[in-house]
Amino acid sequence: MDEMIFLEVLEGDSVHERHRLERFPATIGRAYSNDVILDDPKVSPEHLRIERREDGALVVRDVGSHNGTWRVEPWAPLAELELAPDTRVAVGDTVLRFRRRDHAVPGTVITSAVAPRERVFEHARAFPIAMLALIFVSSLETHLGNYGRTDWGELTVAVVTPLTLTLLWAGGWAVASRISRRRFHYRTHATIGSLVLLGAVALPPLVSALGFSLGLGSGLSWLHHATFLSLMGWGLFWHLRYVARWEPARLVRVLVVVTLSFGALSRANDLLGNEPFSTSLDFPRTLLPPAFRMTRAQPVESFFEEMEGLQQQVDALAKEE
Amino acid sequence: MFVLLLVAVLGQAPSVAPSEPGVQSPARSEPDSAPAPAPESPPAVLPPATHELFQRIQNRVAQVRIIERRSGTRSSIGSAFFVSASGHAITNYHVVSDVVLHPEDYTAELVLRSGGEPVPARLVDVDVVHDLAVIRMDDVVKDFFALEDREPQQGTRLFAMGNPHDLGTTIVEGTYNGFIQDSLYERIHFSGAINPGMSGGPTLTGQGRVVGVNVATMGNQLGFLVPVKHASALLARALEVKPDEARTLVDTVRAQLVDNQQRLTEQLMAAPVPKQKLGSYQVPGRWIPFLKCWGDTPHDPEVPYTVTNYQCSSEEDIYLSSHHRTGVVAFLHQQASSQKLGALRFSSLYSALYAQDPDTVEASREDVTNFRCTTEFVDVEGLPVRAALCLRAYKRFPGLYDLVLRAAALNASTSGVDTSLTLGGFTADNARKLARRYLEGLSWTK
Repeated sequence: MDEMIFLEVLEGDSVHERHRLERFPATIGRAYSNDVILDDPKVSPEHLRIERREDGALVVRDVGSHNGTWRVEPWAPLAELELAPDTRVAVGDTVLRFRRRDHAVPGTVITSAVAPRERVFEHARAFPIAMLALIFVSSLETHLGNYGRTDWGELTVAVVTPLTLTLLWAGGWAVASRISRRRFHYRTHATIGSLVLLGAVALPPLVSALGFSLGLGSGLSWLHHATFLSLMGWGLFWHLRYVARWEPARLVRVLVVVTLSFGALSRANDLLGNEPFSTSLDFPRTLLPPAFRMTRAQPVESFFEEMEGLQQQVDALAKEE
Repeated sequence: MFVLLLVAVLGQAPSVAPSEPGVQSPARSEPDSAPAPAPESPPAVLPPATHELFQRIQNRVAQVRIIERRSGTRSSIGSAFFVSASGHAITNYHVVSDVVLHPEDYTAELVLRSGGEPVPARLVDVDVVHDLAVIRMDDVVKDFFALEDREPQQGTRLFAMGNPHDLGTTIVEGTYNGFIQDSLYERIHFSGAINPGMSGGPTLTGQGRVVGVNVATMGNQLGFLVPVKHASALLARALEVKPDEARTLVDTVRAQLVDNQQRLTEQLMAAPVPKQKLGSYQVPGRWIPFLKCWGDTPHDPEVPYTVTNYQCSSEEDIYLSSHHRTGVVAFLHQQASSQKLGALRFSSLYSALYAQDPDTVEASREDVTNFRCTTEFVDVEGLPVRAALCLRAYKRFPGLYDLVLRAAALNASTSGVDTSLTLGGFTADNARKLARRYLEGLSWTK
């Protein structure tokens, strides 16, 4: 062996400490008189000694320890062992590995070396634009949804609520970013938060309007659910991009699983067919001006033909119990 | 109509029938007839005093107790009166409905005026549409009413008997006021105090002749009786039932409901749907006399729109159980318009109206399934409407359904009419025919 070797104290698969040994004999043990000190209570004060044999080979020798020394693969007690590259021995609870100076290391992991690109959320104007859009849409929806006299109190709430919610929401995420990435990214989180809330305010009416235009029936509630889940997944993805250090592909995979599980759990009753008893009528209630209708009206005859399907459905329900 | 059925705690009322001049109360000849209630006092010129009447007939009335098997005690009570020597007694269906629907959980027994232990009673037959039932005990009855149908004159003094709130047998004076006008299910209007506990008790003339069976009250001396002719018809059927014939009364009830909805459907289909003008629309009006219609337009200067309501309902239903009613026809129109709202804000108003459903017919999980709905744009002779059809099935009575039809006209951007029809307890075919006729009654007159 070389003149110089490395002694590695392992912890699992990784190296906990690394010692360079240049002069032999070298001693290993718990006592402070050793060249390498191990803080393992099961290791004797004078435990191992590494020395050069007459033929020039380096050997490790137990110098009369209390608990003994073991070779690791296969596990066997040893008194003396000639060191080969990557030899591992166990003393007490500690595993030691010996490596030579010429140990080959694996190749460098290649990362995309492009310069960091500024995302649209990080743009200085993105936050005010997103926030203004949110406040505008929220007020517009309140205005259109109110068919009584103009209610200024309600409009104020429509402005203040999204503003407050966004700022608090961004605060939570910013703290998480600070903890894991050392930077708050507050404005970025606020922009993402505004966009998520904008989606939450604007998408349901748009989906309902689409449902009305196309004359969709009961499938509409699933469309609403899917929209909500996509929005949730999208928001979590971008918030987490500023918090976690995961690769985007991994984040997407995790979020798809999380979102789908959440979606399935929140609709577990429907999916399992455990429908609670209800006397309510379940069909979409959105009505829009006649110009929004895009599908043709059916003749009365065929509308009432659909009752046969309903009859079969409720007969099946009645038989279930 | 806010009718209180007299079930919850119903007491029996024994009533004494003073003999009527001329026609005495000879028991109808019964197969195993006990002596007819023989003692006939000489024909009185004036109606006897109430206390005499009571003395004579009190033993013909009994209290019905519905016993819940597990607790071994009564879960509800009502009244009944004897109509045959072999122990047949008339009461209300709603008094014994638990025994009809859950014979494994409930039994009936009669507490006689003469004292002694309660006597077990069997359910023989029911008339669910007229809310009547015949029960029978095995003992021989010496004193009972003969049923005959003679309509008294309006204003005749009548005596209702029963055991209100289990307070003891009571006799109550009141006045005969004829049949309720335009009613869906025939009822006599009795102006006198009928109270919970008196259900199934008789109401008689001063001569002790039964006029009707106590069934419901609206409070304030507004009482309702089932005409005695329905009780006679039911009794005639019940007398033919062999004592040990095993019958599932649920099937009887179902058959009666099917017949009743068929009769209603035929009546409705035979009548043209009258056109009622509502704004620039025409909507179905008072289709048939048993529908009672009401309308109003709230005037609120604060709101930028007007909504006119027009609703019709039979205001009556058939009692199936304490939480299940059927035999209902009802509809409601809401015509909305606005000069001030834009198209989108008007749509919000219109959507809110469309989202309000009429009260569905009362039913619980063990009675009906959930509703299933289908929704479409429908072209009603040139008028585009957004329509939804919802249906639920009866679990105990296969082949009967509740239907709700909702429709909103979509021909204008700041006015419209929204309508809903509720049909309770019809076959699918009949419900479809009626709903279609109803929807085609919608039109636009511009």
